[in-house]
Amino acid sequence: MSSQAPAPTTPHPSPARAEDEPEATPFKLSAWLSTQGIVIFTIALVLFAVVFVDGFASLPNLTDVFNRAAPIGIVAAGMTFVVISGNYLDLSVVAQVATAAVVLIAVTNAVGLLPAILLAIAIALVYGLVNGVAVGVFKANAVIVTLSTTFIGLGLLRWLTGGSIYFGDSDGPIRTFGTTRIGPLPLSMVLFVVVTILLSLVFTRTNFGFMVRAYGSNREATRLAGVNTPAVVIGAFTMSALGAMLGGFVLAAFSNTAVSSMSDGYDFRALAAIIVGGTSVFGGRGSVMRTLLGVVFVSVLTNIMVLTGLGFGFQQMAIGLLIVLAVSVDALARKTRSS
Amino acid sequence: MSATESTSPAGEQTPASDGLIERGRRILSRRTEGRAVGLLMVVWVFTLLFEPLVWTSYEVTLGRIALVGLVALGLTAVILMGELDLAVASTLAVAGVIMASFDNLLLGVIAALATGLLVGAVNAFFVVIVGINSFIATLGMLFFLRGAAFVISGEQPVRIADVDAGIAFGQPVIGPLTPRMLIFIVAFVALYIFLSHIRVGREFYAVGGNRQAARDAGIPVTRRVFTGFMISGFISALAGVVNTLERTAADPTAGSTVLLASFAAAIIGGVLLNGGRGSVFGTLIGASALGMLQVALTLSGVQVDVQNIVIGGVLLLAVITDPASLRAATVTARSLMQGRAAQQDTGGVRLFAHRHPRWGPHVHRTREMTRCASDT
Repeated sequence: MSSQAPAPTTPHPSPARAEDEPEATPFKLSAWLSTQGIVIFTIALVLFAVVFVDGFASLPNLTDVFNRAAPIGIVAAGMTFVVISGNYLDLSVVAQVATAAVVLIAVTNAVGLLPAILLAIAIALVYGLVNGVAVGVFKANAVIVTLSTTFIGLGLLRWLTGGSIYFGDSDGPIRTFGTTRIGPLPLSMVLFVVVTILLSLVFTRTNFGFMVRAYGSNREATRLAGVNTPAVVIGAFTMSALGAMLGGFVLAAFSNTAVSSMSDGYDFRALAAIIVGGTSVFGGRGSVMRTLLGVVFVSVLTNIMVLTGLGFGFQQMAIGLLIVLAVSVDALARKTRSS
Repeated sequence: MSATESTSPAGEQTPASDGLIERGRRILSRRTEGRAVGLLMVVWVFTLLFEPLVWTSYEVTLGRIALVGLVALGLTAVILMGELDLAVASTLAVAGVIMASFDNLLLGVIAALATGLLVGAVNAFFVVIVGINSFIATLGMLFFLRGAAFVISGEQPVRIADVDAGIAFGQPVIGPLTPRMLIFIVAFVALYIFLSHIRVGREFYAVGGNRQAARDAGIPVTRRVFTGFMISGFISALAGVVNTLERTAADPTAGSTVLLASFAAAIIGGVLLNGGRGSVFGTLIGASALGMLQVALTLSGVQVDVQNIVIGGVLLLAVITDPASLRAATVTARSLMQGRAAQQDTGGVRLFAHRHPRWGPHVHRTREMTRCASDT
């Protein structure tokens, strides 16, 4: 703290474990499930759906799954940064997605596309800054902070819009984006994959990504190493905010409408996708690519429930259960790793 | 036992030889309710100036305080141990729906309260036995229970079978006090006695202050955490029952504003989120301030959306003016002021900084160090 640069070797009392390869440690079911299980589960779920669920393996249904998965996936990819930085989650994505969608449609109608996008980016930066400063500088609990910013943001949005629905231009660029398809893949899905790859590169190839991981696995060590930790947290929340903004754009383009309640449930769907993908809520472990798998899993699960006639209530129950189960497996895996 | 005494807010020994002012200051510095008192004062001044109706129609105000305060009381027990129960609002909704789906009122109430206890026990199981962070465990529970409330109710409000009982429940019994306020007062007194005069309750402070120390001192931490979550679950279920009786119908979407307001009440009342400090009095003051604020906003015709903005703002303010948060912010600000951050900082968010000659070696050292320090 007082020294100019930290000494090369810190006497940090950490359990000096070597980088453990999965093969090197004895086989532990919970550890294996928490890291590799999702691949098997996703394949099994898709196979199950193809064989047993009527109407799943039809082209219109698959396009629908993709259309619904894309915005959630983009939101989840951005939020992965917050989760890996050890700050649990960003509940305020609900408010951010709705705000971005309404801004995109309403401001495009009133002024134009470019001002709408610029305004949405500015709003996303404000969200990232407010959440990031409260969590990174004031070290406040991320769940409480983002809970309050959700209510502030949604309250502002509903107050300003009066809860009204905005319809986009019937042949504008937003509509074009929402309806263009490449084979069965809607353009939004392509955007989702591109965003995931980009964020994955940011995560694995840049210092920022590295520091997010370092901060998530050991805050104190990262701070002592001279990293500007508040900036890392603000950066992580800004990533989440930009992801939520893009997700809002995609959602608005898909339906060509925007209303303040359209993003209900995005917080826990995105969180479920991240956690099921194998990213640890305890911070430090995970990747953006895993989130992609998690998104597929959660979307297919939701689609199966819709096809079999289970309503929103059942979906919430299932996803709540999924979150708790996935985190339990992760927690048990950590226990077996450390013992 | 010694751990209990040193961490409880009232149990510290003070040399009585100092002057009265000095002693007063020391007592004040040990209390954590300051922010709640401040907010209450502001609310008082504003309501007296702009909305005196809050005072003249005090039955409404008291009822609102009781609603916010009841849930906040249960939260206090959990937060004192350094845990968090985000599921309170969903527990409230689910308990109301379960109660309304029984034909017999008494059976319904019993089932609802039992549900609350069960929810608390399940939360505690995931937190202490499985070892999940309580934010995430109770968040999963929040979604699960909200879904359950929708499923049980068929996604629409359920009328209770015995509407007359509900109407009778809303009438004052002693003076202006309705049963809801009496229940709140009983819960407050019971929790106060429990947390400050009964050993099990006093040990909550020890568990929250330093869990390992509490365990070493022989306190059964696991049992205490179970007790805390079950208190919280029970009280939120009770709030759900009271709510449903007063409205004569159970709403599966009930409680989202309650969640926010009760958290704000407990946190601004000085219950430290890290655990170990706080009191039910602080929660009472916080709940009074927020209840009055809500009633004042409603009476002045402010929309629900704007109320949510105000209460969300209060909650955000409450968490960042927490003593620990202020300390953290001061440390950051000081290091920025002295320019150390500028010198030491490797440019945390500078992309591709390792390509930069000035930042390069340092960054690589940082990488190695953090890799050694973390065990992933």
